[in-house]
Amino acid sequence: MLRPRSALPLAVVALLAGQFLFTSNAQQSPPGSKPPATVTRSVVAPKAAAIDFQREIRPILSDNCFFCHGPDEATRLADLRLDTREGLFAARDSGTPVVPGNPAASVLYRRITTPEKERLMPPVHSKKALTDGQKDLLRRWIEQGAPWKEHWAFATPSRPPLPAVKNASWVRNAIDRFVLARLEASGLQPAVEADRRTLARRVSLDLAGLPPEPEAVEAFVNDKSAQAYETFVDRLLTSKHWGEHRGRYWLDAARYADTHGVHLDNYREMWPYRDWVIDAFNRNLPYDRFIIEQIAGDLIPNRTMEQQIATGFHRCNATTNEDGAIADEVAAIYAKDRVDTTGSVFLGLTMGCASCHDHKFDPISQRDFYSLAAFFRNTTQGPLDGNVWDTPPSIVVPRPEDLARWNQISTEEASLKARLKAARTEGEADFAKWLDGQDRVSASSPLEPADELLALTVQGERPRLLVKGNPVAVTLPEGVSLGDAHIAGQKALHFSGKAFLELPNVEAIASDRPFSVAVWFYVPAGEDSFIVASQSDPKSKSRGWTFELTRRTPIFRLTGLGGRVLVARGNIIDRLKPAAWYHIAFSYDGYRVPSSLRLFLDGKEAGLEGAGEGAQLKGEIRNFSPLQVGSQGNRYFDGGAIADLRVYNRVLSPEDVSLLAHWAAFELARPKKTAALAPNELEGFRDYYFVREHADSMDLAGQLQTLRAEKLAIARRGAVTHVQQEKESKAHANVLFRGMYDQPRDTVEASTPAVLPPMGSSLPRNRMGLARWLLDPRHPLTSRVTVNRIWQEIFGTGLVKTTDDFGSQGEAPTHPDLLDWLAVEFREGGWDLKKFYKLLVTSATYRQAAVSTPLKLEKDPENRLLSRGPRFRMDAEMIRDYALAASGLLVPSIGGPSVKPYQPDGVWEAVAMFSSNTRFYRSDSGSNLYRRSLYSFWKRSAPPAAMEVFNAPTRENCTVRRERTNTPLQALAAMNDVQMIEAARHLAQRALLAAPGDFDRQMRFLSARLVARPFDERERAVTRKAYEDYLRFYAGAKDEARTLIRQGESKPDSSLPAPELAAMTMVANQLLNLDEVLVK
Amino acid sequence: MKPADSRRLFTDPVADSVLAETRRQFFARGARGLGAAALATLFGEDLTAALVGNESPGGLPGLPHFAPTAKRAIYLHMVGAPPQMDLFDYKPAMKDWYDKDLPDSIRKGQRLTTMTSGQSRFPIAPSVFKFSQHGQSGAWISELLPWTAKMVDEMAIIRTMHTEAINHEPAITFIQTGQQIAGRPCVGSWIAYGLGSMNQDLPTFVVLNASHSHPKAGVQAISAKLWSSGFLSSKYAGVALRSGKDPVLFIKNPEGMPAPMRRRMLDALGELNQMQHDKTGDPEIRARIAQYEMAYRMQTSVPELTDLTKEPQSVLDWYGEDARRAGTFAHSCLLARRLVERGVRFVQIYQRGWDVHRDLPEVLPAMCKDVDQGCYALVKDLKARGLLKDTLVIFGGEFGRTMYSQGKLTPTDYGRDHHPRCFTFWAAGGGIKGGVVHGETDEFSYNIVRDPVHVRDLQATILRCFGIDHERFAYKTQGLDARLTGVEPATPVKAILA
Repeated sequence: MLRPRSALPLAVVALLAGQFLFTSNAQQSPPGSKPPATVTRSVVAPKAAAIDFQREIRPILSDNCFFCHGPDEATRLADLRLDTREGLFAARDSGTPVVPGNPAASVLYRRITTPEKERLMPPVHSKKALTDGQKDLLRRWIEQGAPWKEHWAFATPSRPPLPAVKNASWVRNAIDRFVLARLEASGLQPAVEADRRTLARRVSLDLAGLPPEPEAVEAFVNDKSAQAYETFVDRLLTSKHWGEHRGRYWLDAARYADTHGVHLDNYREMWPYRDWVIDAFNRNLPYDRFIIEQIAGDLIPNRTMEQQIATGFHRCNATTNEDGAIADEVAAIYAKDRVDTTGSVFLGLTMGCASCHDHKFDPISQRDFYSLAAFFRNTTQGPLDGNVWDTPPSIVVPRPEDLARWNQISTEEASLKARLKAARTEGEADFAKWLDGQDRVSASSPLEPADELLALTVQGERPRLLVKGNPVAVTLPEGVSLGDAHIAGQKALHFSGKAFLELPNVEAIASDRPFSVAVWFYVPAGEDSFIVASQSDPKSKSRGWTFELTRRTPIFRLTGLGGRVLVARGNIIDRLKPAAWYHIAFSYDGYRVPSSLRLFLDGKEAGLEGAGEGAQLKGEIRNFSPLQVGSQGNRYFDGGAIADLRVYNRVLSPEDVSLLAHWAAFELARPKKTAALAPNELEGFRDYYFVREHADSMDLAGQLQTLRAEKLAIARRGAVTHVQQEKESKAHANVLFRGMYDQPRDTVEASTPAVLPPMGSSLPRNRMGLARWLLDPRHPLTSRVTVNRIWQEIFGTGLVKTTDDFGSQGEAPTHPDLLDWLAVEFREGGWDLKKFYKLLVTSATYRQAAVSTPLKLEKDPENRLLSRGPRFRMDAEMIRDYALAASGLLVPSIGGPSVKPYQPDGVWEAVAMFSSNTRFYRSDSGSNLYRRSLYSFWKRSAPPAAMEVFNAPTRENCTVRRERTNTPLQALAAMNDVQMIEAARHLAQRALLAAPGDFDRQMRFLSARLVARPFDERERAVTRKAYEDYLRFYAGAKDEARTLIRQGESKPDSSLPAPELAAMTMVANQLLNLDEVLVK
Repeated sequence: MKPADSRRLFTDPVADSVLAETRRQFFARGARGLGAAALATLFGEDLTAALVGNESPGGLPGLPHFAPTAKRAIYLHMVGAPPQMDLFDYKPAMKDWYDKDLPDSIRKGQRLTTMTSGQSRFPIAPSVFKFSQHGQSGAWISELLPWTAKMVDEMAIIRTMHTEAINHEPAITFIQTGQQIAGRPCVGSWIAYGLGSMNQDLPTFVVLNASHSHPKAGVQAISAKLWSSGFLSSKYAGVALRSGKDPVLFIKNPEGMPAPMRRRMLDALGELNQMQHDKTGDPEIRARIAQYEMAYRMQTSVPELTDLTKEPQSVLDWYGEDARRAGTFAHSCLLARRLVERGVRFVQIYQRGWDVHRDLPEVLPAMCKDVDQGCYALVKDLKARGLLKDTLVIFGGEFGRTMYSQGKLTPTDYGRDHHPRCFTFWAAGGGIKGGVVHGETDEFSYNIVRDPVHVRDLQATILRCFGIDHERFAYKTQGLDARLTGVEPATPVKAILA
């Protein structure tokens, strides 16, 4: 089945017209090569015309000569360049490569035609060979005077004059002049204009990505005004679905996804960026702003939150946190990804080719590559993603209704902090007094004694336990002994074997109450799992809390109903060192969600690995078991030690934890005279005084804490998104020898490729400068590459087919003047996207009927000359969205967290790591099943199965051109996916209810929604006959009927007889699989 | 046949007659079997073969470059990297090195993963498992692989594989695709692209993911990129067969829709699509009709493929008890045999769980038990059916493991970190010389002392078995001739070829 499809068009065409010249070439070309770029063109080129250097000669030279005689200095032979004017025409000792007008005197021509094998070029060992046709072309080119031009793509486009055409009445706008001129030169006529229904469907799919409403089609068909089509187009351009549809293409380019992509492939919260893209298209943000905000929104003075969100563009790359990953290597990979993406999306250049050596074909040096990389290596993002959902730098995106308060809080917070600072300064004199007084000596606990539920310490040579401030006697069991602690002069409890210490149950702990645990402890050597402390009930699936170390990562586990846990796992970046002391505090705020848990490492807040999204603590953790230090179940703390363990009945602030971490040191310093205090001890006492003793400071700190709680609540309701943030330093990078991260060579500053117009001296050498350089009116690529990609969306193939390669190995444009005209039009038109798309879809070229003739199949097999309207299979998302929309199931709301529609079992599990938080796919229920597909949760290592079948990319890399295959797996998905069956049933049901008992009207209902036109008589006859067969079967098989109509979560209408609904469901399933439905 | 549709948009009388002619041929076969007729016309082996001049439909002309020794391959990838010194690379001298530090002269300052680069010591952990010699060749095999040991004379054991990547994700990507970063075609896709299909109703390249039994096994991620076709057309991508009730995604008709109803629907669909073809002249519609027919055929062939009830008891016994449980390695091996028997070119089995950073003495025996008998049965079964002579079977992970212990070392417990400098592969059948032990590592199983085999050499060897010269097998992308083996030199391992 999955046999290469190349045989197909061949056979089809053979059948159709006995004509397979244009594909048979492809079949005969040597393995591993694509057909010479000239093949298609030679069929359509006007005969005896002047030879076009750009289109016909440079590709031959590039393909066959540049590898050894091109831009790459390292592999250049004979010091000869054939990619430059000088190289081709300057005299050399051995003669002149090209003497215009004289092939016989041209060394190049002599060397490609010599009978001497050892002198023949390209040499035999290169496995390249020129065809006779190519040699002939080169000869004629030289005879014609060897006209030479810079590679077309590196020259600034200027607006060419509109060509003359014969059939001027066909022309609707400038596009048509260029297209028609080429068609006429090729002896082809455009197709007739498509009928209104076809046009309505086509343009709805192109502008909104959805089929048109039947009522809108009828209104358009009946609109007698001259502006009818334009009115129809304008309405689509104001539809909210416009932004969704455009956004989907852009998200491929941006490699947007909902997971990190590598190893654990955990959840990444990024959807505010996706929604920004949709919104940007919907408010028709000019394309220049669109680029600037995504590349450098963070560098805009007084940037808005939206502009920051936009910078997610370059945070969408796949990232890793694999155990053992080497930071420099990973950082180099990210930089390369960003250069590659910039190359594909904006420059249309295969920049990646220059990462290991100078580009073989295009004038891009390895230095150029790393100079461009430098722009992206100057951000604060670390190389490892921490497996968390909010890898820094990331920002909270509050709900719209919270936004005003959120901004206000920031202001208030800043003012409170300033006041707090001032209060401390003012209180300095009081502090000095306190320091010398008796109070300092009597302070007995770091935080308010009333908040402290339990404290286990060692005083001198004896363990000391306080439960709610009251001393309780402790006896050390065998295996627990006193030994060294984290500071000299203090002792700690050391654990060996299976020994542990049992303390009284701490009653006040419960699921809905805040509490915190803070411990000074010693990490045993080894990778085992150790228990530091736990209060859990073994008889009730370990209900309670546990603080453990697994592979030197601290983990705090709250276990509720039925063993359901909420886990705070320190991330791998902060993995602890063996045989070392640490202070760790976990804090829980009683809200039962992942963000309720915080981890502090040595007094500072540390990142947590992501809990599964939607994770929640269910049921009660409260229990009556003892607090066990050093044990839970059959796990212990062999080789570990504890110097200080405290449990609090509240959330801890960073200041609190800092104090706790340093408390033991202060306690030891307490008897010292003020003058004898070391500077850090003095600092510690100062902190203590202002946190615990100084009323003004305490009041302000309290207000600050309240504000933070409010902020957290808003953040919790809102979302997180990844952004870019520039470092202070100057952007630079190292050239990496052969692309190897551990072989850095010269340092280069951020700069743009030398072959392109230079960055203006006023532009900053950072991402902002880069973005503005891309938009320089002299820039030859940005506008061309963009209009070409837009052309590809609408017409199926770009004017330059190699959307991401405008270099000399890419395909030359079919309509170079049209491409330039469009590029200039787009730029001079203010980068106005809606206006530009409108230009395309109102052209006569676009409005042609999609009808082939044998002549057109022969002369224009792939419709590159645009001799007919576009007709090609819709993208994956469109196929599903189409079924949802046509059936009436679609829930059209815009934006929000990604959703999980139906997916066969096991797709994620088959590839996921056990500890990945995207290991299990649980489909949503209700309205989330029926959202547009661009909202479907995208796990990079296992993208939505039904999408992947239809060539959706994995989003691991930037994709600007999707493949469009036609396979049996696609047929299976379109026929059998439960989403498609449910849609068929829903559509059938609506048809039956709309016209009870009237088959013809039922068919009209279906066809209006599926193909935007009535079926003809033959189509109706075939369908009626099939319906009768289906009905006959289901009338005799009511159980089957009932089973079929039960597919999917929505319920069938119980008023309809099951056999009829089942039979009509079969009809709808049949019609949803029509080629006409699957294509645009 | 005069088309009834008056809305047809053709204006060209020549086109009219040609299409009418086509339709006559088409309908001459009867409207009932319309789709099937299209298929026969489009895919009839004789016609296709005549057109492309290749015995395997869809393969590239000019391939194979020379007489192949393998037509099919089954690649058993042990994801996570098995420890070579506990299974194949016997290092008896290590017994005296217990808990001594790995000498710097051996480590040579080479890079380590960040999992052990912070360790203060690198204590040698000799294998706790016994080795003995087997077969004519006298190859040393660990006691953990008693079944594999029985077939050493069928196998070529390469003890000197080496790679560049030091972590799983890049290393697996490298050994499968020739590059450490995602985006290139995997070896199965290259074979499918180069040689095409040998059957009419199953994929050319199939992927199976086998389960493991030990709860503490070190499981690493895999992802669809490992069987992706990279820059080759996605039709060369591997099709992952699933162990559940739907072996191929969406293969089953919805409940309540029996096969005759699907057939009836396809007939009506085919007729309607043909009408659309008449109106538009778009050849892609004919291709679509053919693909729907192919899908229908898969709906029959796939359940037949996964139905083991007709396998003889004796064969089931070879594979052992596990073979009766879908998703196990043994079951996957049996399925692999059935796949290649039905003309599938390349079967890739992934088994995860080999990442033995700790608890090795506890976990490794279970991992071996999961795969040992299945490997043996597969080779034996292929041989019994005469398939082994042209079916290549290969077995191995993405890198090796360190002789020193990761984490705590005791006489009975240790773990091992990643080690790219040497690891073991074995191959059998398909032109591989049996009873060969190739290459030698130093006494620490750390560096190679003789006959290194780079990942690229292995890839070149696989291609060689298929009759392909790896240097001449390229695909033009971004202006370069991209090869599975990349731009660095690679050589097939002649010593293991029969």
